[in-house]
Amino acid sequence: MNPENKVPVTILTGFLGSGKTTLLNRILGEEHGKRIAVIENEYGEVGIDQGLVIDADEEVFEMSNGCICCTVRGDLIRVLGNLMKRRDKFDYVLVETTGLADPGPVAQTFFMDEEISSEFTLDGIVTLVDAAHIDQQLGRSNESSEQVAFADVIVLNKTDLVSDKALTNIESRLKDMNRMTRIIRAKQADVPIETVLNLSAFDLDEVLKRRPSFLEPEYPFEWSGVFPLDEGKYELILEEGPDPEMSLVAILDQGCTEDELKEGAESCVRYYAEAPEELTPNNIIPYEKHVNLNLQSQGSKRFILDQKKFSKVGLFTQHTAEEFEIKLKSLNEPNSGNIILPESERIWVAEHEHDDEVGSIAIERDGDVDPEKLNTWMGKLLAEKGVDIFRTKGFISYAGNPKRIVFQGVHMLFTAQPDKEWGDEPRKNQLVFIGRNLDEEQMQKDFDKCLI
Amino acid sequence: MSNIEPFLPRGMLHEGWSSEVDDYAIVCGWAMRGKIFVVGDAAGGLYAFDSLKGNTIWKNDNVHKGGLLSISINLDGDIISTGGQDGCVRFWGSEDGKEIKKIEIGKGWVEHLKHSPDGNYLSVALSKNAYVLNSEGQEIWRSENHPSTISAIAWATNNELATACYGQVAFYQINKNKINQKLEWQGSLISMVISPNGDIVACGSQDNSVHFWRRSTGHDAEMTGYPCKPSNISFDHTGTLLATGGSERVTVWSFEGNGPEGTIPGELGHHTQPVTSLSFSNKGMLVASGSRDGSVVVSFLEKNGNGNPVGAAFSGNSVSAIAWRPDDCAIAAVNSEGGINLWNFKVRTEL
Repeated sequence: MNPENKVPVTILTGFLGSGKTTLLNRILGEEHGKRIAVIENEYGEVGIDQGLVIDADEEVFEMSNGCICCTVRGDLIRVLGNLMKRRDKFDYVLVETTGLADPGPVAQTFFMDEEISSEFTLDGIVTLVDAAHIDQQLGRSNESSEQVAFADVIVLNKTDLVSDKALTNIESRLKDMNRMTRIIRAKQADVPIETVLNLSAFDLDEVLKRRPSFLEPEYPFEWSGVFPLDEGKYELILEEGPDPEMSLVAILDQGCTEDELKEGAESCVRYYAEAPEELTPNNIIPYEKHVNLNLQSQGSKRFILDQKKFSKVGLFTQHTAEEFEIKLKSLNEPNSGNIILPESERIWVAEHEHDDEVGSIAIERDGDVDPEKLNTWMGKLLAEKGVDIFRTKGFISYAGNPKRIVFQGVHMLFTAQPDKEWGDEPRKNQLVFIGRNLDEEQMQKDFDKCLI
Repeated sequence: MSNIEPFLPRGMLHEGWSSEVDDYAIVCGWAMRGKIFVVGDAAGGLYAFDSLKGNTIWKNDNVHKGGLLSISINLDGDIISTGGQDGCVRFWGSEDGKEIKKIEIGKGWVEHLKHSPDGNYLSVALSKNAYVLNSEGQEIWRSENHPSTISAIAWATNNELATACYGQVAFYQINKNKINQKLEWQGSLISMVISPNGDIVACGSQDNSVHFWRRSTGHDAEMTGYPCKPSNISFDHTGTLLATGGSERVTVWSFEGNGPEGTIPGELGHHTQPVTSLSFSNKGMLVASGSRDGSVVVSFLEKNGNGNPVGAAFSGNSVSAIAWRPDDCAIAAVNSEGGINLWNFKVRTEL
């Protein structure tokens, strides 16, 4: 079957009130040239404006063999089976699940049912999250964390209702749970349509072409600011914050574009990797060095920046500027005492402790693996933990195979296929598992045994 | 002389006529005792073709808003019933295509319709309920809510209706409004047939198996190992053979003797893609199978389930339904591109 002829399907999940219907209406409004069918399982708070809307009762069918990967959605099989019989075929199908739906059976329907998979292709799973309520929801319900775990894209909606600080925390919590996902902030589900449709998220060749790593990088800092500073002295003022100390790296000639910031961030990751130098207040902050600002004393603390000539100075701090009310003041006449505002500010997704049951495990190793050992290990892992492993993605370097092997899975359903040739690229492996109560250390150990 | 075997019947499909409808043809059947071939398409077109010449006798457009889903023709063949996405059932006169009655059943899809064997009743499945209408279109019975959407209905007798859904097959005595039997099994049943003597009920299941029960003993069994789901199953008129789809082969189970438990089924491997429709002839051991690859094959079967092809033809596109004419002298197939083909079927028996 030619995949190009298959109709793409996007699954929209999220709790009631997270804005699924608003997003649906935006998609239908903007993609008016296309024939879109919407399969709805829930009567939303707002009606759906246009397009073909089919109401279907969510019918989760478990099989007698007890295998959870055989659990499918009967309503989808019936409705999609009928939709594909129309000559005026649809360009796109959107499946809106109820707030309490487990996305597993929905996704599995597109792999387990031959009639469906011959006509439709699962494009991606989009989860809407209400920024104001997600913290409580994640604590209360399994469904909510499963929806986060399955998502290719999370739309963090209603961001206008919470503070920036809270958003950063939510984002980092969601990232801990699902490191493969892309998080997009929105106020009223106002996301660019191309960020949620036509993702080809289950076509790993495509995904890897666009993004060579499944893992969004995490950084050892949460905030950066870029300050254009003339020759002279400046003081960095920190008020009392949540911690008695904070790591910082200052670098020169930092640009403000996204690419330049990322480049700066990468170099700061390297400085952060080194042990920090302790720095007490009123001392000069060295450039290109990992320092630990000592903030134990009461009241404002000052540190000095000494500029020999004009430069854009990038400050990468362990915590956000807001937490310590960081200010930069000039000590030079005639501007002495003036506050200097950053030309650009950015929040970085920070590494965090894993405190949710649902989390991501990433294994990255250089070198080759023994195919047989890996198969044995993966087979055992999925057989034993398949219920708790929601999604798997990765690429592997098989010893002796010129091609990279890409694979992915939903619960125990698992496919592996050869992708591009390695060529001169260094051989490496990357596996990401998203699941519940996974033992990261054990899995890494087991994987290491598969390495040659 | 003992090594001389008797001749099998030799049959052939002779090209009769072909025609087409406007959309994906999904259902078909014979009316007026074989004088008219009726076809419904996915967009809601209903057509009647002359059995001999293939010309369109009448045509109704858009008979169900959203699309047509099901059709049933009564025993006399003078009334055609259709069901669709609009939640309605409509009765049509076979001769002229004029509407006799329109009945609003409810909100949802009317996915299954079946006339009782004597033609007096019409059973209707809409979402989680089954209904029985009399010939006037009046509701005379309604089932309780099923645990999930009804996926198949079949009449065991003129007064006993069976429904299949996820997890169960239920038998209802319509005239006494009671449940006669409930056969439970955790699986999504997607098709159902009942043997002519009413004892065996067989269901195709979503998990690529066929499950059957013997009603008299309550004994059940499961045939697994199908590569795809067996959406199509058919009993021959004696109830000896059960033909099943679920792959590019037709798998035939024989209920002769102590079978089919512990027996090896017959297999007919004449298609290159999965079987999409199956139908035994009204009399005799002939099974017609249609496939996604567009081929239609008629096979003659022995009592053990093995058999040989006696005729084959190509309909051009994925076959969505096939129907033997009541006299078994012709077979018609409809396909996914709206193509309609009729072949005359001739058998020569020598012994």
